[in-house]
Amino acid sequence: MRASRAAAAALLLLPLACGGADDRPVITLPGSAVGAEAELLRRQIDRFTKEHPGIRVELQRTPDDATQRHQLYVQRLNARSDDPDILQLDVIWTPEFAAAGWLLPLDRFDADTTAFFRPTVEANVWDDTLYAIPWFVDVGMLYWRTDLLDAPPETMEALVEAARRGKRPAEAVTRGIVWQGARYEGLVTVFLEYLGGFGGEILADDGTVVVDSPEAVEALSFMRDQIHRWDVAPEQVLTWHEEETRFAFQNGTAVMMRNWPYAYALMSGEDSRVAGRFAVAPMPAAPGGEPTVALGGSQLAISAHSDAPEHAWALLEFLTAPEQMLERAVVAGQFPTRPALFDDPALDEVLAIPAERAREIIERATARPVTPIYTQLSEILQIQLHRALVGQAEPADALETAAEGMRRAIEETGVRDLRRREGAR
Amino acid sequence: MSPGRSVGIEAAERRLARRLVAPALGVILLIALFPLGWTVWESLHLHDLRMPWRGEPFVGLANYVEMAGDPRFWAAMGHTFFFTAVTVALELVLGLFLALAMNRAFRGRGLVRAAVLVPWAIPTVVSALLWRFLFDAEAGIANAVLLDVGLIEEPIVWFVHTATAWVPVILADVWKTTPFVALLLLAGLQNIDSALYEAAAVDGAGPWWQLRHITLPQLKPAILVVLIFRTLDAFRVFDLIYVLTGGGPGTATEPISLYAFNALLQNLRFGYGSALSVAVFLTTFLIALLYIRGLGVDLGGTAE
Repeated sequence: MRASRAAAAALLLLPLACGGADDRPVITLPGSAVGAEAELLRRQIDRFTKEHPGIRVELQRTPDDATQRHQLYVQRLNARSDDPDILQLDVIWTPEFAAAGWLLPLDRFDADTTAFFRPTVEANVWDDTLYAIPWFVDVGMLYWRTDLLDAPPETMEALVEAARRGKRPAEAVTRGIVWQGARYEGLVTVFLEYLGGFGGEILADDGTVVVDSPEAVEALSFMRDQIHRWDVAPEQVLTWHEEETRFAFQNGTAVMMRNWPYAYALMSGEDSRVAGRFAVAPMPAAPGGEPTVALGGSQLAISAHSDAPEHAWALLEFLTAPEQMLERAVVAGQFPTRPALFDDPALDEVLAIPAERAREIIERATARPVTPIYTQLSEILQIQLHRALVGQAEPADALETAAEGMRRAIEETGVRDLRRREGAR
Repeated sequence: MSPGRSVGIEAAERRLARRLVAPALGVILLIALFPLGWTVWESLHLHDLRMPWRGEPFVGLANYVEMAGDPRFWAAMGHTFFFTAVTVALELVLGLFLALAMNRAFRGRGLVRAAVLVPWAIPTVVSALLWRFLFDAEAGIANAVLLDVGLIEEPIVWFVHTATAWVPVILADVWKTTPFVALLLLAGLQNIDSALYEAAAVDGAGPWWQLRHITLPQLKPAILVVLIFRTLDAFRVFDLIYVLTGGGPGTATEPISLYAFNALLQNLRFGYGSALSVAVFLTTFLIALLYIRGLGVDLGGTAE
């Protein structure tokens, strides 16, 4: 097997070897291949190679869909491929990849982690070791139409009321609120926000599963009733991801939308029907809960199989430097992971919300459980959430099944949520 | 020539034959049996990529015991059998109609035969995306047509309800695979001696009688080949459902291959995922065995 693999590799490398002109070390970096973000990345890489003429950087196209990117990484890393050198990780993957031994510990590079938001750093620490640097941070937000509502709703009741009142069927505003309800990771983040809004949690501070609490049942019932009882959310949301909800809101068919910051810049463009007619607010909360935003975002890590870790670190450091982060915020609307940047007046102009407010929101953002078995826990939860929302099960039964499954997984694998600590919620 | 010498030649021939076949056998061993053996070996171990510190201890049949008590496994098996039974039955009936139609002599027959193959030539992922779009709740043509005809009053959100989510899945598979079935059956039809029909016509047998007593019995070997191919293929269905429904709503359309894939590449549970894969293999093997025995009896000469 190994010999044949080597032979195949030799065949593949033959053209390169014959070319022979460029023998600089190559750093491969997977990233989005389309749109403003890809262009931004290419520009930043150009600047980097000007500063470091001895390194060649190769941008690899990878799927934008997180699940597919996860599968791609798993296949490459498990095969010990030295390619890609740098990994772009979803905020929930770091412990899983670190525990599997696929990431290079970053402690040796002496990164200054105090310069980053604490929740974003905590998500990247496994077994007291830093494995990734937060690249940009995402927080869930409530987008609302300023021409249809006077103010954003602050309570759950007000949310339903606003969704109902804001509809204008004659003007094709037929949807009160839209969110990501397909069976995928996005559904967990939406649920997390309603859950916090009602005062519940997925895992308690000691790591035990409490997703079957009365508050959780209330939160899930509230989501289901938006669709089936109050008719303020369309049934289609149960098949929708981020982009479908953005299309609905951007085309002016919805009063409110739950989405990430990226949508703000896109919906302010000329081809948007709601440009200048929307604003963002935190998600509402019920008595006993508090406005909750799910923490998302991207991290950069170095593959343990990288053959040029020092060069990879140079690129990683460059991409997460203040200058590049600020540019990313301006071009793609993605929030920097360095709190200091929020004092920059340039940032204030480009963000969806006042920078000071954004900083507060990120500091309080709710992280998803930090554990190597997160993907499995999330899958168990996604399935049961979806079953309850499509009407295959009652919320209480679905959450009980989910909690049992999660407890069993935690027990079987013996992995608890090790990184949870006070103040992280 | 003495008998001994002839035996000597035969033995030499046999040795030569063995030597000639050896490379092919080696390749089969390497690409078919080796991965299979590896999967079985994995399925007897606890192998979890997320926790390398646990090593890969031998756990005997623990993964299989877990599987037997896993409701999601049994549900996935149920979905797979349901999908297989419905699609193979539909494809066989529709394919037979198509084959009978194409078997008649008419102008442009060659063109029709080629055109019929178009759905089969489209990659499954592409056709799955196509069907996903056709059944989109808002922009899909399925809702538009049903609303126009007046069969429904509200657009159906197809992928949210269990019963309606199966509709595009089954239609897409039938649309794609019926041409393949039709062509196989057409080949079978063309092997039937036309003298049989002439004789039947002379005896005054009508078309229905001819179909039941000549065409179908004569076509039996071809039908069995179609059945075995299609059943095995349908049982391993993956890409179509992965793209169309992702196994949802909930896990209501999740086939066993998709579950195994999730366990392996999503949850990184290689031991358990391998056990699921072995279950898929054993079931398809069993189905193949059942069919081949059926087929074998016929080839033995009991068929008319």
